[in-house]
Amino acid sequence: MTEEELRETIARQFGRSLHIRTLDTGSCAVCEQEIRLLAAPHYDLHRLGFFFTPAPRHADLLLVTGPMIRAFELAARKTYDAMPGPKVVVATGACALGGIYPRDPFTHGTVDAVLPVDVWIPGCPPSPLTLLHGLGVAVGRLAEKVRDLPFTAEPSGGSGGSSPRASRAPERVRGDS
Amino acid sequence: MTPDQATTVKPSTVPGAVTTFQVSSPDLEAVVRDLAGLRLADMFASDGEQPTLRLVWANDTAGQAGYIITETPLENAEYPALSDITPAAFIEECEIYEQFGIRPATGKPLNRVMLPPHADLPTLGRKPQTEPEEPHAPHLVGGQAFEFPFGPVRQAGVESLYYGLVTSGEEVVDLYLFTWHKHRGLEWRLMGRTPEQALFLAERAEGLSAVAVGWALAAAAETATGTRPPDQAQRARAVALELERLYNHAAAMAALCQSTGLSVGQSAAEIALERLLRLNARAFGHRYLFGVVSTGGASRAPDADAIREDLPGAYGEFRRAADALLATNSFVDRLEATGILTAGQARDLGLVGPVARATGLTVDARQVPGGPYEDETCVAPATGTAGDVLARFTVMLAEAAESVRMVGQFLDAGAGAGTAELPRTGGCGLGWAESPRGEALAWVGLGDDGRITRARLRPASARNWRGFDDACRSQNVFTDIPIIEASFWLTAAGMAR
Amino acid sequence: MLWFFRGIRRGVVTTHYPARPDESSRFLPTPPAFRPWALTRSTAGRLEGACPSGALRLQDEDGERGGGRLVFDVGRCTACGRCAAEAPHAVTASGAFELAATSRSVLIKIIPLRGEAR
Repeated sequence: MTEEELRETIARQFGRSLHIRTLDTGSCAVCEQEIRLLAAPHYDLHRLGFFFTPAPRHADLLLVTGPMIRAFELAARKTYDAMPGPKVVVATGACALGGIYPRDPFTHGTVDAVLPVDVWIPGCPPSPLTLLHGLGVAVGRLAEKVRDLPFTAEPSGGSGGSSPRASRAPERVRGDS
Repeated sequence: MTPDQATTVKPSTVPGAVTTFQVSSPDLEAVVRDLAGLRLADMFASDGEQPTLRLVWANDTAGQAGYIITETPLENAEYPALSDITPAAFIEECEIYEQFGIRPATGKPLNRVMLPPHADLPTLGRKPQTEPEEPHAPHLVGGQAFEFPFGPVRQAGVESLYYGLVTSGEEVVDLYLFTWHKHRGLEWRLMGRTPEQALFLAERAEGLSAVAVGWALAAAAETATGTRPPDQAQRARAVALELERLYNHAAAMAALCQSTGLSVGQSAAEIALERLLRLNARAFGHRYLFGVVSTGGASRAPDADAIREDLPGAYGEFRRAADALLATNSFVDRLEATGILTAGQARDLGLVGPVARATGLTVDARQVPGGPYEDETCVAPATGTAGDVLARFTVMLAEAAESVRMVGQFLDAGAGAGTAELPRTGGCGLGWAESPRGEALAWVGLGDDGRITRARLRPASARNWRGFDDACRSQNVFTDIPIIEASFWLTAAGMAR
Repeated sequence: MLWFFRGIRRGVVTTHYPARPDESSRFLPTPPAFRPWALTRSTAGRLEGACPSGALRLQDEDGERGGGRLVFDVGRCTACGRCAAEAPHAVTASGAFELAATSRSVLIKIIPLRGEAR
């Protein structure tokens, strides 16, 4: 089997049934709440073939939140090492991507400082829809969209985002009273 | 701040919500004995030429609710053993030792509480000379009992938390917790920041209480600078705080169902929870209400029409799930007489929130005069008597109903955005808010440039985890631990900061 | 069995996402989109100062005055809205919530400035 064939086989298998192990490296607890809601009726990740598992041995994907607090590093490495390959690491939330805590004596500041991350999902917290999209990207079922978004607005009034929305999102400008 | 007061400090005669007394070091023990009838809400130290020890006492009596702060400069690195007088001070004594190297005079062993072992981390003051003990003592490991560690990586979708469980089989003999692997050094980080900058991090100390902890910090900075937020902004904060309470109680209900293995109830509660979070996003622009509180007021106005439209349906889901659960004997049987805390235990440890109210104590930060709750609505804290998981659950349900009523009242009175600008001056102040899990406190000291010299964050979780082992002992078994944990509905992040 | 009928009466709440769009995404806070024609150097500097996450950095273009760009790290963004509040004429909501990236660099966006020193 060539590398390409192996990659395709993995994507096919993971795309049909994926077991997710979550890992909290120091979050504020809100990312965990959004992750728990993935199994709730409104989102139901089971219908997509995704499942949570409490055992790293059983897991295919490691979903990591938090800024990788140094005191937690050993537990994080042990969890990652306990997962058999092939495996995917997804870092999610602004803490995990470096937006909240810097690299300092308390925290590494990002998850990818310690673990080899495959997919990064921004948000504070990332909503369950954002997480579903990210998990789909991680298993190769959904297209990555952010690569082609310029985050600039067009003069005509469009906002440059390509999310499938029924109508324009309301502007959230702070400071109005 | 009022000038020196002798050893007699009479709580009931002082006007205003907060009074501060300078107490000299030799008088401290006597003053603490005088005040021991009040609730010790917090204790912390500040660095300086001489470290200063502050104790925050709360008077919870209706009509007299307020706070007393005692400030004591410590001449040498010792102070009287306050936890011998009031057990509520023990965790804080340990914390002060870790951060400032100051210990109580009796030399009793202090546990490791906040800082991880073998780590050379920046502290708020002088480092201690010897490492604190690991908290294995005191507990009984007699007979067949053995000890096993559990965590910090636990089941899917929950925070990291480390338990040391002492058991003789099924029964829980003792339980101790570590949260230092989630210690982000927030109080250290806030030094040197402006209150506006600090608020961004304070909201993320315990994100599930973002409004409460943010409000406490903002109020502390406002008191320190003599700023008064506009009334409509105070009501906007209150609307956000009650919405926060609602979604947290729905989440606690879902967690209770999960811990008892009742998936149908869990799904029903999660439907209510999701509807409440979507309501938050419509009303304030964020599912978890981040960014609503600002220093000096509120930065976002609630969408009153959206709330009036969506809240009845969302609360209806919540109520239907709760009613169905209370009518399910197999569920109620798991909650009744599980995780009992007595009022005496709650009082001794200074517990707050639904955990304390379920034992019969009327502890509620919304009773303190001077905020939007004083004008618009009368807060009668819901209490229970049994102190078990069922009592905590029914207290949460009663509070949820009150929250819905209060949201309507605040919206009717007019809730909007608006910020009073904080002057760049020195000062210090205490702020508070009733988070879903109990009273959240914050204290700031500002330098003359308006930047923080010392920030103290005390989310309710930092108070209430110490009651968890008492609740888990007394005839509970392993499978009760998740149920009790769900009924406390605390976070490791709020303790660890 | 009552719960069974209650559930049937309520109907299905499960989203069809990703097969179909989900209405609730309209109300999610999203990272900003910038109006380059309104981004003067001074405005960009103010945006950099307003961001609490360090997601916005003003960079010189080879050190020449008047050039430059705003580097926006979507990964660090918390969609807090402080940049939009600081300069509402230059910042709007992108509406983008599908933000997953398979490489970290894909989340770093270069926003051109207006080009004149003001």
